[in-house]
Amino acid sequence: MEINYVGEHLWIGEIGNLFIILSFVASLFATISFFQATRQKDDSWEKLGILGFRVHSFAALTIIGLLFVMLANNYFEYHWVWSHSSSTMPMRYLLSAFWEGQEGSFLLWTFWHVVIGNILIYTAKNWRRSVMTVVSSVQLFLASMILGVFIIDFKLGSNPFTQLLRDHPDFANLPMFANPNYLESLDGRGLNPLLQNYWMTIHPPITFLGYSLTIVPFSYAIAALWQKDYQGWFKPGLPWAYFGVAVFGTGIIMGGAWAYEALSFGGFWAWDPVENASLVPWLTLVGGAHLMMIFKNKGSSLLAAFVLIILSFILVLYSTFLTRSGVLGETSVHAFTDLGMSGQLLIYLLFYLFLAIGLIAWRYKDMPKSKSEDELWSREFWMFVGALILMIASFQIAFTTSIPVINKVFGTNMAPPADPVDHYNSWQLPFAVLTLIVMGFAIFLKYKQNQFVPFFKRIAGPLIAALIITIGVGAALKMQNPYYLMMLFASTFTVAGNLNYISSILNGRIKKAGASISHVGFGILMLGALISMSSNQIISSNTSGVDVTQLGEDFKNNENILLLEGDTLPMGKYFVTYKGREKEGIYVRFKVEYLSKSEAGYKPEFLLKPFVQLNDRMGNVPEPDTKHFLKEDVYTHITYATLETPNQEKEGYKDLKTEEMGVGDTAYASNAILVLDNIFRGTGGKDLQLAESDIAITARIRVFDFNTKEHFLQPTFVLKDSSFVMPVEAEKEDLGLKVSFDKINTETGKISLKIQESNASKRDFVIMKAVVFPYINLLWIGAILTVIGILFSVYTRIKKG
Amino acid sequence: MKKGHIILIILIAVAIGAIVGSISDSSTYANFDEAFSNQDREFHVVGTLNRDKPTKYKPEENADLFRFFMLDNNGVEREVFLQKAKPQDFERSEQIVLIGKAKNDVFVAREILMKCPSKYDDGSPEQTTSNASL
Repeated sequence: MEINYVGEHLWIGEIGNLFIILSFVASLFATISFFQATRQKDDSWEKLGILGFRVHSFAALTIIGLLFVMLANNYFEYHWVWSHSSSTMPMRYLLSAFWEGQEGSFLLWTFWHVVIGNILIYTAKNWRRSVMTVVSSVQLFLASMILGVFIIDFKLGSNPFTQLLRDHPDFANLPMFANPNYLESLDGRGLNPLLQNYWMTIHPPITFLGYSLTIVPFSYAIAALWQKDYQGWFKPGLPWAYFGVAVFGTGIIMGGAWAYEALSFGGFWAWDPVENASLVPWLTLVGGAHLMMIFKNKGSSLLAAFVLIILSFILVLYSTFLTRSGVLGETSVHAFTDLGMSGQLLIYLLFYLFLAIGLIAWRYKDMPKSKSEDELWSREFWMFVGALILMIASFQIAFTTSIPVINKVFGTNMAPPADPVDHYNSWQLPFAVLTLIVMGFAIFLKYKQNQFVPFFKRIAGPLIAALIITIGVGAALKMQNPYYLMMLFASTFTVAGNLNYISSILNGRIKKAGASISHVGFGILMLGALISMSSNQIISSNTSGVDVTQLGEDFKNNENILLLEGDTLPMGKYFVTYKGREKEGIYVRFKVEYLSKSEAGYKPEFLLKPFVQLNDRMGNVPEPDTKHFLKEDVYTHITYATLETPNQEKEGYKDLKTEEMGVGDTAYASNAILVLDNIFRGTGGKDLQLAESDIAITARIRVFDFNTKEHFLQPTFVLKDSSFVMPVEAEKEDLGLKVSFDKINTETGKISLKIQESNASKRDFVIMKAVVFPYINLLWIGAILTVIGILFSVYTRIKKG
Repeated sequence: MKKGHIILIILIAVAIGAIVGSISDSSTYANFDEAFSNQDREFHVVGTLNRDKPTKYKPEENADLFRFFMLDNNGVEREVFLQKAKPQDFERSEQIVLIGKAKNDVFVAREILMKCPSKYDDGSPEQTTSNASL
């Protein structure tokens, strides 16, 4: 029986599917046309190609527009809208919801390629035909990612316009679809709370622009190989490559900032596979861009430039494959789910990989090679060395990150390093030191030959400055690790060298200073990374004074600490109080106040509100809060809290537990630790009006509260007339604690201590972690300076060219 | 010998070093039997939470100790001491990866990775009406 469903908006999906096909066909048409135009050097083919790309652009933009309409109006009959939105989702997360899923992020990628492609149509001039062939072919692959058609059994792409009811067999038989009016009661699944965050609004578009920009130098490189035009490609390609370095780098550092500010990584870089996956192509892009510069100025390193530039595009594809194929699975918590497109991604990747290898092999003999060998003391030699170090560094990261892939391919059973941060740091630190040192001195060398002595005189100043700073800062921070000291030296040397270069050699001619500014920035960035990571201090370690090592040395309180409402604990130079919680919608905010102590008493310094975002369906998400100072950050994170509000109004006592205790034994209540000091005859000074024949035994119990204040409780056990037991309880009202005992084991000398707690005494508490990151601002300042420096040199280069 | 050759040799040497280093740093996936017969060696153990047994977290005693029972992929059950605060939403985890070593008869985990399928998984729409319990 057919049901006539009410309120569906099927027209929008029909239009959408039309445009998906149009975008696919148009990019195919553009690819073929540009290809023919290049081969036949034919203007009419070129015009067709431009037309094809324009149609493709129009179709892609329309698809994006339609999806936004669907998302904004909650058309939950569409699976894609249902998956990523809900009726309660605030509009400001519209963008986040759009690119949360794979379809949306492929479209974001398509969007940037459309923008870049249209700019290239205007600017690429005589490179337009060949470069646009490559760009259009990439668009063809991307368009296939959202096709959602079946070719025999192989699903090509994942279509965002599929309907929950008609296209998803798992859903179609649900009883709700028997109701023609099902849309009235249907709500979307909503956006993952982890992503309901302003970072999610700004981070993906920038990262994807960075990804997308690798296509330009790649296309120029492929076009150069194809057309045997080795001299002309780097000039238009170079500003694009550096613009890519700047944007891609911004995306990566924003990811770090996101992790630091809003995720519970406890730092800005965790060597997570997803982070690594984008760092690797960035490193090769930086290396490749520098090699292009060598070729431009000296005419050597062409092959290496081709390899690195092509690699960075292929590695972007590889990183997409890693994060989307589900292959990372157990090693990363925030990879996408597999939508069954890993095969398709792999074909895409392998196609361009073999195309590039084939082209390079085919043209290898043709390529101009430098007749003379590079001089040892020349800029090009050391730039080349620097680029190779970056390549090796990226290779090391890529290799370890690829362990799950290696397992799949070779059937091995390796697990990633148990301590990834340590593993990567110990490998990457020497690479960073070498790179920074090369960055510090290579700038003083001219292209081609240099005299060593005058060169050395120039770098002597920065060398000495860096040495003095290293000794001073190293001593001040008590830095003892020799690798850290080397890193400290290398990064200050880069900063000093490039600053000196700007002032002495360039004489302040700022137009030429772009490279040096960005190198200064990068040195500062690495300095900030080094200091904040090596000298950070977990101040929430065991300050409760309670020794919790009874389970063995492995279980020292080392990172997290229990903070009861109202209590004040010392943490580092602060005192910290938990001042209760406030609930606002789906956010539970925990008020953690930092105080300073002077003779006049405690003085509030600042209040942090780390919070937990409640989401019963996808899991609650905690988010840290950080107080930023110029010199340091105080990071505070709730690692555990009960989420039901504790009931403060109940009266009376409830049994907590009964514990067998001998002298010296310890028992735990919710907010106190009890130690049985001794057991003695008598009432302990209480007047219990006992008869001669009565026997009284009293236990002396030492109680520590969480301020480690000592209290005493003395419950008594009375045996009346040798038969009738009368326990006399002891109470500590301010702790809400009552103890009594009604049994004595005469053989072991142990008593059964009954511990009761006041219902009102279950004070609210949080388990928190607090870390001080010193000088982390250097990291952000350095990053900003790096990007400004690169953008500045891109600008001057474009203006000049 | 040309400078280019020297660089090439160094390059290859460092690359081989990186591969060897990564492999030797890499840990091993194991089940509980293997981990307990190689005490004090670090392993990755994959398994699921045993929901029939209670989990223990007493922050007033030690905020960095969380105890639970896990079944490995062969169904072998062991008690686990996790040296961290109880992870948020622990009970919802579908799969657990522990990084740590066996000590006597408990598995002492330094690190935990959890898979909560609900985060990205396609659930059925019925789930959307589940009650808002915390």
